[in-house]
Amino acid sequence: MANLATLSITIEPLSLHDRVADINEMFLDERFERLLSLPVVDQGLPVGIISRNRMQRIFSSRFGREIQGKKPIQAFMNPAPLMISIDQSMETASHYVTRNISYPITEDFILVKDNRYHSVGSVIDLLRGMEGRLLAQNQSLASTLNALRESQAQLVQSEKMASLGQMVAGVAHEINTPLGYVRSNIEISRDACGDLHKLANAYDALIALLQCGTAGEDEIGTQFSFVQQTREDMLSKFPREEMDGLFVDTLYGLDQISEIVVNLKNFSRLDLAAEDQVDINQCINSALLIANNVVKHKAEVVREFGDLPKIRCAPSQINQVVLNLVTNAAHAIESNGRIHVRTRAAGAHVHMVITDNGKGIAAEHLKKIFDPFFTTKPIGEGTGLGLSIVFKIIKDHGGHIRVKSVPGAGTAFCVSLPIHPQQQSGSLQ
Amino acid sequence: MSAATIQLASRTLAPPPSPEKRPTLLFVDDEERILRTLKLMFASQYRVLVTTSGHEALQMLRRETVHVLISDQRMPIMAGVDLLRQAKDIAPNTMRLLLTGYSDIEAIIDSINDGEVFRYINKPWEANEVRKIVGEAAEIAMSLESRPPLPGMAMAVGETRTILLIDHSPEIATSLGNLLKEDFPGEFRLVYASRLEEAISLLEKYEISVIVSELHVGNEDVTPFLKTLKHFHPQIVTIVLTSFQDTLALTNLINQGQIHRFIPKPVRRGMTSRSIRSGIERHNEIRMRPLLVNRHRVEAPIAEIQHGLFNRVRGMIQRLGATGQK
Repeated sequence: MANLATLSITIEPLSLHDRVADINEMFLDERFERLLSLPVVDQGLPVGIISRNRMQRIFSSRFGREIQGKKPIQAFMNPAPLMISIDQSMETASHYVTRNISYPITEDFILVKDNRYHSVGSVIDLLRGMEGRLLAQNQSLASTLNALRESQAQLVQSEKMASLGQMVAGVAHEINTPLGYVRSNIEISRDACGDLHKLANAYDALIALLQCGTAGEDEIGTQFSFVQQTREDMLSKFPREEMDGLFVDTLYGLDQISEIVVNLKNFSRLDLAAEDQVDINQCINSALLIANNVVKHKAEVVREFGDLPKIRCAPSQINQVVLNLVTNAAHAIESNGRIHVRTRAAGAHVHMVITDNGKGIAAEHLKKIFDPFFTTKPIGEGTGLGLSIVFKIIKDHGGHIRVKSVPGAGTAFCVSLPIHPQQQSGSLQ
Repeated sequence: MSAATIQLASRTLAPPPSPEKRPTLLFVDDEERILRTLKLMFASQYRVLVTTSGHEALQMLRRETVHVLISDQRMPIMAGVDLLRQAKDIAPNTMRLLLTGYSDIEAIIDSINDGEVFRYINKPWEANEVRKIVGEAAEIAMSLESRPPLPGMAMAVGETRTILLIDHSPEIATSLGNLLKEDFPGEFRLVYASRLEEAISLLEKYEISVIVSELHVGNEDVTPFLKTLKHFHPQIVTIVLTSFQDTLALTNLINQGQIHRFIPKPVRRGMTSRSIRSGIERHNEIRMRPLLVNRHRVEAPIAEIQHGLFNRVRGMIQRLGATGQK
């Protein structure tokens, strides 16, 4: 921290007996040009200060010089000058000076060291020094603010990555199940095909025997029963009905995988416009499919969709909102729960209500749930940003979100979005 | 068509096993399509039961002999691990397997400690691999069923079982020592190794019943050692006591290490005490009926083990006279 030494102006002080006229001469000296006042010191101790302003008042009165000129300065000086210890910080000095100085500013201040006279300092220099420091502080505040903004952006990003990770794990699981049986079914079909070839070969051999005209009846008979046996083995290993079912299942599994992929594309909207006329019911369906892995073992999802007009919004963000609310609902449920998703259009808004019958939110937490970093999950399991991002997205869309919760009974989130948004929604990057 | 490709009757087909002698498999999965696929995969060689419900599976286990139970983990109403836990009581001879795409660390730990699972198979599976594993489990179950118990080595009066602790921290040794003194006064001898070398020396010196081990000591990975030891000397029961948790490492410890219990650090006293008790009981059971070791047969030992160490473990095991599979 810079102290006042940088502002110190060293001058020889006046003594109590110096005469007014002589001092007036000194004010004209260019060495003291910058000073508003001169210090008066007695036996090393500062005892007063005399200002240029006071001198001018003396000399501008009638016969001032003649009457007062020979008197000692003691009678005219300010006996209570501002005194500051040289090792004070600039802030302390500035604080002291601005509180104690009289206006208009006519005097400088005296710098002391161990209570003894050291030098003088000018108020203007002090203010300039302070300005410089404020500027530096502002710059550091600005860069701190930038750093904070950056880390906030990073946190939002890491929250996004966390939900993305959760989503990817969910989707992987969703694809894994059909993939498992589709793969096996293909392997089984390959084996069945192998058996079919065997049967065809045995059949060819039988035809060859029949056509060559030299084969004995025994030989033909043996081959004939071999064909029969091969056929029966194949049919018992791969019964017709079950093979038919296998192909139905395989196609169903592939359809499942396609549906997940299509929804994933819808969800990320990578190949679609950032903002669009959107059917909120579709957004909800997409998000529910993505959340399925988290939800299905905990709760039954009941959809009660009303007819909704398409609204202009950023669908990927609305998807994120639904995904977050639905996974939160699932996390609140221990098992065998129910998540109700209702939509309806009323007045100028589209409303979406997501209700769960989970453990609910304690009253003291309810006020804080939209605050960034508020979480009741153990460290490392939740960033506490999920709902704050939801809140921001809804706000950016000109909508609002409300929550009602009864501990032990469940929670309801109601999201309302305007059908005709006032302005372009901001985007949360 | 050339003669070579024509299949003639001279090659006779092996007759399928007669229905009474076929082992029974029970598959449990909440996805019916998976059950249909599995049924088709196994029906020609096994008697196959399938159900989407854990409760129904338990009914089946009560009603009839099932040699191998293969369950999904993540199912509504009853999770796979809960099914295996109850199955263990209802039908202790049934081999228990998990076939699942869901690998939650808790579930895997439970499948070791509560389910005592023989194999953990990941979805999507490979048909031949599943056939091989299920076949092996069925064969073990059948062999135990068909043969009367062989007289094993009963525990001599006054014989003290020895427990080997492998851990880098002497504090764990002290607290385990105290636990044994208090919970099992005079029953066990505890020997302690802070390094793998020391552990091998102790194994050569003492007849160890149960090993309680960290997965890493110093910069040594103990896992390959535990797997190799299990392969050659399966009557030594392994309890893993560690802060290290990784789903893949754990499933490998099941499939290749057949660890008896997994105790996460920080150590909870009750759990440790119960695990040691059941580990000793398991060891005694195997001593009484050596064929039971087959129930804990592991996949072929892995190449990752250092050569010197491997040979030493092997040499030691030969000196001890391995009772495990070759």
